[in-house]
Amino acid sequence: MALELAFAVAARAVLVLSPLGSHIQDDNQLSSQLTSYSRLQEGIYLFRHGIDPYSGGSFRHSPLALSLFSTVIPTSRIHPTLLWTFCDAVGAWALVNIWRSRSNTQKSGRDMRIAAFYLINPYIFLPCLALSTSTLETTLQLLTLLFASRGQSSLSLLTLAIVAHLSLPAILLLPPILLLLLSDPQSHLASPRSFPFQQKFRKCNLLFLEFGFFFVVLVFASALVTGGWGWVRNTWGAGFLLPDLTPNPGLWWYFFTEMFDHFRPFFLMVFSLHLTIYVVPLCIKFQHDPLYATFLLLGVLGTFKPYPTLSDPGLFLSLISLFPEIYPYLRYPIVTALLHLHAFLLLPLFHHLWIGTGTGNANFFYASTLVFGLANGGALLDCVWAGLRVAIGEENDRWVVTQE
Amino acid sequence: MMRSPPICLFLIGAMMMGTGKAVKATAEEEEFREELTLRPLPDGKVAAHFSFSTLLRGAVPRAPSSLGTDDTSQHYSIFPLALGQILREHAIPEFHLTINSGKWDYDRWGHPGEPGVGSGAELWAWMGDGVQRETSIDERWKALQNSLSGLFCASLGQMHTLHTTSPARAFPPTGDLPRLPAPHKHSLRHATLPAERVCTENLTPFLKLLPCPARAGIAALLEPHKVFDANWHGLGVHVRWRAGAGVELVLSVQAVLDPVRISVERRRDWSLRSLFDRSIPRSCNIATSSVVRVMLPSASEGGSYTLSPEPWLSTEDSIASYDLTNGTSELDIAMTWPEEQRFSYPLDLSPLSDLSVRRTLKGSSQTHGELSVVIRNNQPVTVRTHYLETMPWHVEFFLHTLGVSCGDGTKCDYLFTNMAYTPSQPHNKPALLQATIELPPHETVHLSLRVHKAFLRYQEHRPDAQRGWDLPPAVFVPVDAPFRRIYTSALLVDLATPDFSMPYNVIIMSSTLIALVFGSLFNMLIRRFVVVNLDDEVSTSTQ
Repeated sequence: MALELAFAVAARAVLVLSPLGSHIQDDNQLSSQLTSYSRLQEGIYLFRHGIDPYSGGSFRHSPLALSLFSTVIPTSRIHPTLLWTFCDAVGAWALVNIWRSRSNTQKSGRDMRIAAFYLINPYIFLPCLALSTSTLETTLQLLTLLFASRGQSSLSLLTLAIVAHLSLPAILLLPPILLLLLSDPQSHLASPRSFPFQQKFRKCNLLFLEFGFFFVVLVFASALVTGGWGWVRNTWGAGFLLPDLTPNPGLWWYFFTEMFDHFRPFFLMVFSLHLTIYVVPLCIKFQHDPLYATFLLLGVLGTFKPYPTLSDPGLFLSLISLFPEIYPYLRYPIVTALLHLHAFLLLPLFHHLWIGTGTGNANFFYASTLVFGLANGGALLDCVWAGLRVAIGEENDRWVVTQE
Repeated sequence: MMRSPPICLFLIGAMMMGTGKAVKATAEEEEFREELTLRPLPDGKVAAHFSFSTLLRGAVPRAPSSLGTDDTSQHYSIFPLALGQILREHAIPEFHLTINSGKWDYDRWGHPGEPGVGSGAELWAWMGDGVQRETSIDERWKALQNSLSGLFCASLGQMHTLHTTSPARAFPPTGDLPRLPAPHKHSLRHATLPAERVCTENLTPFLKLLPCPARAGIAALLEPHKVFDANWHGLGVHVRWRAGAGVELVLSVQAVLDPVRISVERRRDWSLRSLFDRSIPRSCNIATSSVVRVMLPSASEGGSYTLSPEPWLSTEDSIASYDLTNGTSELDIAMTWPEEQRFSYPLDLSPLSDLSVRRTLKGSSQTHGELSVVIRNNQPVTVRTHYLETMPWHVEFFLHTLGVSCGDGTKCDYLFTNMAYTPSQPHNKPALLQATIELPPHETVHLSLRVHKAFLRYQEHRPDAQRGWDLPPAVFVPVDAPFRRIYTSALLVDLATPDFSMPYNVIIMSSTLIALVFGSLFNMLIRRFVVVNLDDEVSTSTQ
């Protein structure tokens, strides 16, 4: 198994360097306008030539990424390849360690299977080949979860602040991460208990302030690096205003391509608010197992966030391996898996038919994003059901479990 | 009785002379000159350049600071009032409007008489900044576009922020700019509409601005059927202020006509009548000078030709001139090649222009492409030239992929210097790339740049969305000769289109998916689990 893992990591490095890497680098499903490596290079080029990269619409990466890549990491072909491969390896390592914290074991036979599931997952593998910065975000999200599971509050909140800075919707993970820091990562799905909000209220506030401090420091550091606030509109603002309508596997782009101008602001607000509406209910319902609540929220983000790439649902699907206790209670795993397979094959095919050969039209690709959305939504719903259903236990012959 | 008609004629003639004198007397401050230059080209075509210039002697452009107050009244006898009002209303010291159809072939036709030959409509103006917000440069720029669209029946109103840039390097003022009080300065606004075509409806109001519209003088030759049948044709309106002289208005018409095409025997012989279907009936009395010039082809390229009538003025520098100022007889100039049975198209044409430029957009994908510009220096000396690329936001440059290579394929980035770049803003401003390129003698330089093609909102597409979008021409301006601009051809970019019949369907289907997930999820979260005994179920349901 270890050999296979090494192979999975090495395959990345080889394939990124091969012509395939540069061929898929600008693929719209693997890297969005907010995570594209070409645009990152463009931003660095403009920055180095004394042009404000945030004065136009071609660069939408966070100033943190800009300062990191324009100073520390050279933009040759080799260095980013190694960095991206390393990030995926770290992600797999973090995922294994989250599993160890959750199962409260040191080493188990599942470790390798979890790492392999992550590394071979095409939704994780392909964005890495395309050098999409969503790979970095995924790794940082896994590190946040790892630190939170281990109770390292400052580290966890700092990584979360960085992730939220890179991609603003990730800030929605804050409430379940706070709950996770105040309780433990072990599975309590089978035995729900209420979270002692009263006693932990003070500590919770302190942690929240700590996160706020990290976040504000990063914001000011960014303003300092770029010498202004123009980046806010270009990076975070893009998620609210959707200036770039390049197709991606998400639900926003075609909706706002076809939207009538006078309804656009209204629906942009509805779509943004819609993302936030899941946070509190999921945290309340799964207060006994905040890691599971975080997992479900990642599913919500992967389905509904603006400018998603394949790595967003990829992270959610990889995390399923942490929760083996829900497997018996999934209602339609085969259907969901087939929907995913269907969408995964249709997305690139219809994209090519529309954009490449011009024989299909936009509806082809739109239909496949709908299937993809259905697959992600289906997986999310099934996981919510199973997470709740675990508590009731096995069914007897004469009894059925249902909802009122 | 028999003698009375000549006497009457004499009297009328004397009166006309008198009124003619009166016109010329009041026109001390206004001066009208007209000129037609005909240039037979080596490829058998004839380039015609009509130029009608009116000088408003001693006039000074209106200061932007006086815009809020009442303007002085305007009285012109030759200068067109409609245009004068626009200049005063918006305080414009200098503007240039050209509307052209076709692609000027620099290699075969050389440099045009008037440099503004880019395909489509081009408008640029230098303006001083106003004091109030209502009189700011951008507001007046918009107002100028609308006024000129009204005057020339052209759709210049589409030149809003989507097309407006300020490339001051490539478009320096051709005249002088009045001095402004300290913090204020002049700035440039420039816009191009590559899809706009010149048409009869533009020529009619254009001719109305002339003192002798289509009845006398050179303007009589502007017969729409013939002008718009030309291989290339365009109108130009140029206003500039020259300190010490006054405000100068130059109306120009350029056309490249093809006598070979209209001749049955495929000969390149031409005459004014064959080219324009007219001859010049009489001179325009108002004109201070009225000259027709024929640029005589050199012996090597021209063969033996005859020109009739014999030039009235002395032929110097291979230019034959005909002064019409005091002429009353009809003039029809003709050039014939009697020894030539049939015009044979020359196969080895050496380029007539300083630079040859070819610009293309490569790649079949609707998301990415490559802009490629090939520039060849035709001269034996090193040429430095400004390069100006204005790109609407829907074609986005990836500037980090910019590659400069020389003819033999080696990289020569050092030739590309002095770069200034303003990135485009989605749905709003175009990108502006300016640089200086140094071209070694007889060297060819390739520029390549990857571009990303944007996806437009459904309502941003034109009614003919599948036709594609015209991209404005790039402009090359030699540093030593700033008024010999070279325009590349305009490009057509194919952008991906959504399905225009789908708005309701998309809203319904996407919303359904969201509602499905949202509804099912909250349904699960708020309902309690119950364990039901199957044996009891029958009784429960009956209750």
